[in-house]
Amino acid sequence: MKTLVVAERKGSDLRRITLELAAKARELGDATFVEIAGERYSPLPFVSALAKRVESGKPDLVLLGATLNGRDLGARLAARLGRAYAADVTAIRAAGNALEADKPMYAGKVRAKVRLDLPAVVTVRPGSIPLQSGAEAPEVEKIDADASAEKLTFVKLAATATDAKRVSLSEARVVVSGGRGLKGPENWHLVEELADALGGAVGASRAVTDAGWRPNEEQVGQTGKTVTPDLYVALGISGAIQHLAGITSSKVIVAVNKDPDADIFKIADYGVVADVFEFVPAFTDAVKKARSS
Amino acid sequence: MKILIPLKQVPDSTVRVKVAPDGKAIVTEGITWSISPYDEYAIEMALERKDADPTTVVAVVTVGPARSRDALRQALAMGCDEASLVTADVTGPLVIARALAKVVEETKPDLVLCGKQASDDDQGFVGPALAELLGWPHVATITKVLPIEGGVELWREVEGGHEVWKAPLPALATVHKSEKEPRYPSLPGIMKAKKKDIPERPMTALGVDASGPTWTILAMEPPPARGGGKILKDGDAKQIAEQLATALRDEAKVL
Repeated sequence: MKTLVVAERKGSDLRRITLELAAKARELGDATFVEIAGERYSPLPFVSALAKRVESGKPDLVLLGATLNGRDLGARLAARLGRAYAADVTAIRAAGNALEADKPMYAGKVRAKVRLDLPAVVTVRPGSIPLQSGAEAPEVEKIDADASAEKLTFVKLAATATDAKRVSLSEARVVVSGGRGLKGPENWHLVEELADALGGAVGASRAVTDAGWRPNEEQVGQTGKTVTPDLYVALGISGAIQHLAGITSSKVIVAVNKDPDADIFKIADYGVVADVFEFVPAFTDAVKKARSS
Repeated sequence: MKILIPLKQVPDSTVRVKVAPDGKAIVTEGITWSISPYDEYAIEMALERKDADPTTVVAVVTVGPARSRDALRQALAMGCDEASLVTADVTGPLVIARALAKVVEETKPDLVLCGKQASDDDQGFVGPALAELLGWPHVATITKVLPIEGGVELWREVEGGHEVWKAPLPALATVHKSEKEPRYPSLPGIMKAKKKDIPERPMTALGVDASGPTWTILAMEPPPARGGGKILKDGDAKQIAEQLATALRDEAKVL
């Protein structure tokens, strides 16, 4: 199968999802890599440039990361080219002249197996394809975004006071989330210190972002972000069904909650029934020790 | 300004979704249906514009099964002005986008707001596809819309902040969240909505091209069961913390 992977960077480095897609594309056959160069993502200039590249190269499959921009670009590209489309899949396999994909639906409450006709456009959920160490770095061809297609004007970037050095939530290998059990935004240093000790990203339950304790972009679960880390730590989160749907693909789930009947314990691999204020500082110290020895 | 919101009726987010015995669909008997959560945010966003400027007209439309009428009625009860239904049996997403494009051409909204994805198939296709078919620009996953001279300002949540884009009208945006939580219908709103007509016509009446790529669902299953986890409880906080850290490092190998 001939696959075109759309690469994304964070700063100067290729994103982890691009390496994951590279591994899958090579497994499927002939893989080429393209990166769209523009100051920032905008649908029309990016779709225009990519559609031209797809029409000339005629790949059977265009793969993008199911990132904020990848999902948007993939959808509009599929519409422009009239290709089959599947978003946010967790596995893909060649199946004769078609493609099979595992596709979470109903916010993660169902896993569907779907068959797509080729040619197709597919976005893949970060963290779903295992990375092999020592894999060759993909050789990425740069194409320019088509500025002539733009109809929008960029005004400004309004930054929020989040920590830029932290990894992004959807791609993080470790996520530490806080819930109402933290009692207030002034206690978030507990979540952050543990996340730093684990080298992870910080998330929050919907109750917390709705209360304005934390920015919306940190919300994990249905109507927030779906995460697939190796380790998910839920601090003071009771585990509403919408939250659980967003974390159920995590490899290992740790829950700390005062209430032994909290639903979060039903899906946790390790549970601690404790007060977060007492337990979390001790756990942060223990993690630091365990990682250094 | 006229704002149009295409909305989809989906199982309510509190529903425990079950897979049907044939393994290819979900059990729909007896479940509660709602407006898809991101579409609700889009409605709230539009109604906030209407609160600020009462001349704003907010319309909703659904291309879907007849039961979707309840979702449209709910949107009217929240305060939307107009609703219409295009009935269609299960059809490809590109065909739905084409039908919506017809509705847009007829109703001529200045702004179309789509939820960023419907919480059933979680595809997020129809919004960008509709903009593509209309030849309009779009901005994805917005959290705010402000009318300005010559168009609208659209705020888009990105890593580390918000990008602010200016779009000429007509334009389309997909909505990630509204500034406030979606409002509940008021009692007068419910009474008013009951009296409103929701015109209905079959998709075949729109004359859209019904061909196009689609997917076939081969199987559906619940996510693998989790559980059977360990509760660590021996010792004080420090001892349990150390047991947990050691287990994560040596047993789960995730440290």
